[in-house]
Amino acid sequence: MSSPHIVMNARNVTLTLGSAAARVDILRGVDLSVTQGETVALLGPSGSGKSSLMAVLAGLERATSGKIDIAGADFGVMDEDQLALARRRRIGVILQAFHLLPTMTALENVAVPLELAGETDVFARATAELTQVGLGERLGHYPVQLSGGEQQRVAIARALVGRPALLFADEPTGNLDAATGATIMDMLFARQCETGATLFVITHDAALAERCERIVEMRDGLIVRDTGA
Amino acid sequence: MKLAWALALRDLRGSRAGLRLLALCLFLGVATLAGIGSLTASILGELSARGQQILGGDIQMEVAQRLATPQERAAFDRLGPTSETLRMRAMAATADGETSVLAELKGVDAAYPLYGEFRLAEGATKARPGAGEVAIAPALAEKLSLSVGDLLRFGDAQLRVIGLIAEEPDRVGEGFTLGPVAIVDLIGLNATALVQPGSLYTTRYRIKAPALTDPGASAVRLSARFPGAGWEVQDKSGGAPGTRRFVERLGQFLGLVGLTALIVAGIGVGNGVASWLDGKRGAIATMKVLGAESRIISAVYLLQIALVALAAIVLGLLIGAVAPWLTATIAGNLLPVTPRADLYPIPLAVAATQGVLIALLFSLAPLARTRAITAASLFRTGVEGTERPSGGVLGVMALFAAAIAGLATATAYEPKFAAIFIACVAGLLLLLSLLGTGIRRLAARLPRPKATLPRLALGNLHRPGAQTGRLVVALGLGLTLFATLAFIQTSLTTQIERTVPKRAPSFFALDIPKDDEARFRGAVTGIAPKADIQMVPTLRGPVVALNGKRVAEMKELPPEAWFLRGDRGLTFARDLPPGSRVTKGKWWPADYAGEPLVSIDERAANAVGLKIGDVLTISVLGVELDAKITSFREINWDTMGFNFVLVFSPGALEAAPYTLASTLAVEPQMEAAVARAVGKGFPAVSIIRVKDVIVQVGSLLQQMARAIAAAASVAVLAGIAVLVGAIAAARQARIYDAVLLKLLGGTRAQVLGAQAIEYGALALILSVLALGIGAGASWIAVTRVFDLDWTPGWTVVLGTVAAGGIGTLLLGLAGSLPALAARPAQALRSL
Repeated sequence: MSSPHIVMNARNVTLTLGSAAARVDILRGVDLSVTQGETVALLGPSGSGKSSLMAVLAGLERATSGKIDIAGADFGVMDEDQLALARRRRIGVILQAFHLLPTMTALENVAVPLELAGETDVFARATAELTQVGLGERLGHYPVQLSGGEQQRVAIARALVGRPALLFADEPTGNLDAATGATIMDMLFARQCETGATLFVITHDAALAERCERIVEMRDGLIVRDTGA
Repeated sequence: MKLAWALALRDLRGSRAGLRLLALCLFLGVATLAGIGSLTASILGELSARGQQILGGDIQMEVAQRLATPQERAAFDRLGPTSETLRMRAMAATADGETSVLAELKGVDAAYPLYGEFRLAEGATKARPGAGEVAIAPALAEKLSLSVGDLLRFGDAQLRVIGLIAEEPDRVGEGFTLGPVAIVDLIGLNATALVQPGSLYTTRYRIKAPALTDPGASAVRLSARFPGAGWEVQDKSGGAPGTRRFVERLGQFLGLVGLTALIVAGIGVGNGVASWLDGKRGAIATMKVLGAESRIISAVYLLQIALVALAAIVLGLLIGAVAPWLTATIAGNLLPVTPRADLYPIPLAVAATQGVLIALLFSLAPLARTRAITAASLFRTGVEGTERPSGGVLGVMALFAAAIAGLATATAYEPKFAAIFIACVAGLLLLLSLLGTGIRRLAARLPRPKATLPRLALGNLHRPGAQTGRLVVALGLGLTLFATLAFIQTSLTTQIERTVPKRAPSFFALDIPKDDEARFRGAVTGIAPKADIQMVPTLRGPVVALNGKRVAEMKELPPEAWFLRGDRGLTFARDLPPGSRVTKGKWWPADYAGEPLVSIDERAANAVGLKIGDVLTISVLGVELDAKITSFREINWDTMGFNFVLVFSPGALEAAPYTLASTLAVEPQMEAAVARAVGKGFPAVSIIRVKDVIVQVGSLLQQMARAIAAAASVAVLAGIAVLVGAIAAARQARIYDAVLLKLLGGTRAQVLGAQAIEYGALALILSVLALGIGAGASWIAVTRVFDLDWTPGWTVVLGTVAAGGIGTLLLGLAGSLPALAARPAQALRSL
């Protein structure tokens, strides 16, 4: 049973991909615990396994072995659909390439997680969330009609609208210029603070990592440094 | 479900274009199937609706070479008003006798027609012919250069033309004719002196049954009342049975061609859905990241497919529904009856159901693959989600396939043929799928060529994400259709010239009085001394019983038992006729003079299970004659001589009044003079130019070939759409290759060269396959559906397949042209 303030607890997590002939060990036994409201930066060079760790912790990928407890749910034993259901109320994800649904407006993109969860007042709540990120005037715009920074703000609103316990952001400023990136991160930290979510940021940017309470560094599929340990 | 609908409608707003291939293919397929079904139903509907008019009455009693006896006529009259018509082939000649052509002479009484209207074209001097007058078909007026008021000769009579026939209400019921019709009254017919004992004519009595009586039951009662009199009885529900059978059979074949078009379209549906969903991988993964279950995702995309498919099907049904009207407007005069412009719900429902089933069958596999797309695919690229469908999905697909085959078979005129046809199409699809996999695997195992371009081409065939499988199926189907069509088309069009023997007769002469044999020979050889004259006795009569069982009481006659329907030409002979071969039993001795014996065509005998020693009963002029079957013959129908299904032993029929029929082979320069001499000296003799028959039959075959080509062209169109779709699906990868090659210094010619080698190799392999399969498929169609010989024109067939292959090559290369036209830097930015 997890401690009440621990929102995520991973023990000896491994991830191996590829066929039997060409197996690649991506994660080689990761242990990590994160408490509610904490901000964590995950650093590491390309290929160190940080994006894969995030995918496993966010339930986007099934671990090959190990135990993952996310806000009271055992992600290690769930199939793809059970993981999707578990994500709905627990996890928000922001990706480097935004990944907005191109055929939907900004408002509809933000409303989708609420709709999938069968909640009510979805458009009112989505409007409020978009207003919070400064896009109250751009509700009916499609992704192609928005700038990169605006698209990422829509992605942040979409990730936060369900009030998840855990917020994962994979290189959230990687596709943005420095000034826009800084604005986006200010907004992300502000919204995280307001909602009380745990923020887990993957980044190459040491300055951005410094803004987090805790830095976890990875190399070759293992955690080699953890300032919160 | 509400959420799935909402998400589907939102997604559809921006992704309709991706489903264009699905919509186009489904529209083409459903429109074809619905169109052919509606057209067939409209023609059959018209035949039924105008049953009385086509038959000429509610009941028709038909007999050969005689009139009804007073007792028979009294029985007809008791049932209702009766009309009598006599019909025969006869030579129509100009007044001076210089020009004559074969015509159908029809004598009608005052009651004719009981139904419909007999109408003459504007300019006629009277409404209908009286004594010494004739109304003629426009074609006859044209052939003899006659105008209203001119004189025309039939037999001994000079008749004045009172007008050109605009409407002969029972025309369709009269069946196939070799010459244009001329209508006289019965007095005019007697004046010709063509109706003699033994001359070949048909008498029909059409009866108008009172309301509330059942014509079918009355017809059965009449038939039972005169069992041995040789009457052929029809009621209004079965008018023009030959035409009906022809329409049903051709309609079924075209319907199956239409179903093939729909199945080809189904491949396009599958490819279109697969390409569309490939483009949705990111969106699907994102939805999964946001917490969507596979069930919702499948529902979202299935609903979009269903909506687009529904729109395409409805549009296809609309086009199909107006097909009868369109055909009547454009080609009404080529059909036996003008299609009735109406709505035919059954063929439309069948087409719609088939459309839905095809859309489901071919969408299911790509749709099922979306379940395998994981949220993590946003983090890594690859070929995730391309695995085979699960056993459950395959099971459901098998159910849909079985439903398609079941529906097609259940609605076919000949279910067995339909089942074989569908099995062949399914087999072809399977073969092409296996070939696609085989080519991919072979390309992967072949040693790498040293030259760059072939190496690139080989790589393109098997690399991850290669469209080889789809291209092979699409291209294979297209080329096979091209080849099959070319085989059928050329077989039909070359049928006549190929089957006409080198020394074909110049003329058939019919109705030569037996006492005039010597005079006739003399008249011909007087002009053409080297003429080859073959004469056989001939008379007509129906087969009325087999081993004592009345034919009229047999419930269902198989299509091959055509010799039991209506009158047959009968003959007797001492020696085995030339062109025939005894396959079972024995031919009678030349001096045989015992009980009546008969030799029968082997195929006809097998159709009804007759054996040597069985007894067959015919009716000649109302007299029944039993004859024992002593031999089966194989008849070479291509000799263009007189071939009879039934040949009797000498003595059996000699006492009956009969005439002689003759084939005349004369030198071409003598033909006109011989025809003139026979026309003048023997007014009762019908002389038919073989060339005229060939032209007439040839034009009928051409029309059939056109109908098949029209139906199949939609399948070809669908095939092209599928091909374009498959090429378009690979377009992004092609552009990427082309740009990179250019970046590395490749010229346009080199880039195109690699792709030309790839498409060229595929086209070559598939052309060979298409020729093989097309030959088999066309052989079945030509020999089994049309009962003709398979005589393909190889030059045309090879040319067609080559053109198809080259067209494919060009189409494939055309897909790369936009990338070639762009500068590398510019193109790279857009990739």
